[in-house]
Amino acid sequence: MQKKFGMAYIVDRCVDCKACMVACKAEWDVPEDHFRTHIHTGIKPEKREKPSMDFLPHQCNHCDVAPCVTVCPTKASHKREDGIVFVTRSKCVGCKYCIASCPYDARFFNHDIGVAEKCTFCLPRALEGKEPACATTCPGNVRVFGDLNDPESEISVLLKDAAEKRLNVWKLRTDLGTEPNIFYVKK
Amino acid sequence: MEFQEAFEWYVAAYLFLAGVGAGAIVAAALADMYDREKYLSFIKAASVIGMPLVSIGIGFLYIDLGQGFWKPWLLILLFANPTSAITWGTAILTLFTLFSLVYGAYNLGFIKFSGGNTMRWLLIITGVLTAGYTAVLLGVLKAIPFWHQTALPILFIISATSTGISGAMLVKEVFFKNHDHLGKIESTHMYLLILEIFLLAGMFLIALQGVPEMKYSAMSLLTGKFALEFWLFLVFGGLLIPAVAFALAEGGKMKISGGKLVLFEVLVLVGGYFLRHLIIHAGVYTQKFTEYLH
Repeated sequence: MQKKFGMAYIVDRCVDCKACMVACKAEWDVPEDHFRTHIHTGIKPEKREKPSMDFLPHQCNHCDVAPCVTVCPTKASHKREDGIVFVTRSKCVGCKYCIASCPYDARFFNHDIGVAEKCTFCLPRALEGKEPACATTCPGNVRVFGDLNDPESEISVLLKDAAEKRLNVWKLRTDLGTEPNIFYVKK
Repeated sequence: MEFQEAFEWYVAAYLFLAGVGAGAIVAAALADMYDREKYLSFIKAASVIGMPLVSIGIGFLYIDLGQGFWKPWLLILLFANPTSAITWGTAILTLFTLFSLVYGAYNLGFIKFSGGNTMRWLLIITGVLTAGYTAVLLGVLKAIPFWHQTALPILFIISATSTGISGAMLVKEVFFKNHDHLGKIESTHMYLLILEIFLLAGMFLIALQGVPEMKYSAMSLLTGKFALEFWLFLVFGGLLIPAVAFALAEGGKMKISGGKLVLFEVLVLVGGYFLRHLIIHAGVYTQKFTEYLH
């Protein structure tokens, strides 16, 4: 069966150390003022007796119905068969339309080379059967990457287990119809 | 809330110039079909700015592109994806630029072929599409709720026609030294401005009841970080003052010509630019984490 890559974050393990962000930058030589992955900090005093902070990593959601792919005039942004939304730099004209189209604000404009950029699930590493740099580096094992079509893969086992235990599993803004492939799991 | 930063003033300048150019040609083609002789000075003035302004606008777009300016062969790829509004726009702009070049050259006496009524209709259709698609380009983006509304293309078409008339009137007055009073065009201009005021007001009333991001965008214009430019350059300068002046002229209570005409037409043009500039800059991304805690 064709592979379909996805990632799950076990969010209560995240301590906001930002090792993922640094590893990604080192792997991809991301320009100084941008990141391909972020950690969102939420303070939720209204839901708890004591105020608490939550850390949520986020990045490109590799949507099945990706708005960036729909709007890209040159087809530089495209959905690969393995589920990865990829930008072919040599085809990107730099119109920035994909950046404005992304409801996850996951893209940025790389002024050094004049193209739109974002997370690619570390495509060359994924093709070698490795995890993306962020997942390898994460000291808390927050990020679980793998083939959603393989029932034996770590991510499939995690999601199956989470469903059986009725854990909180959600994706971002499914109401927008983008069908993202990043899962949030709260144990 | 995150304001979008992908599209900046270059894009606003393109939307504005494409609007003025297309609006001028649409108004000229309509006037041409109505009474060519009477409106010839206006038609000639519109021909001077029509195709050139659209081309300068496209120039702004090229400058804004990360690679297209340096690797022009990539531009052919702008036709590659039929689901992209940029692809639709590229096709529309290519046709409109060609038609308006022929029409302009004919009106200014460089060639003898006008294309007749077929050409005028083609100009009206592609001109309206040029003015309207620039808003469709923004409107198809679900990620920015303030742009995702049907009123936007209608607003842009009306504003384009109004600023196009202003541009042509200005050229007629300043460069052709022709002080003809073109009654029908002046009345149309006044009604367009009034329509634009109502449409803008309606758009804001609806946006204020919309999703939080839409409301945030609307408030950033009404009372927030863009309020000064919004009220000064768009609402009062660009719409209300010229609309009142043109209404007074229409009622015979004021005579608008020479310097006054130039002033009011410039105000409309400045307002037309700020309409696009402000709508682009007030775009706010839909929130990613609305339900992140369960």
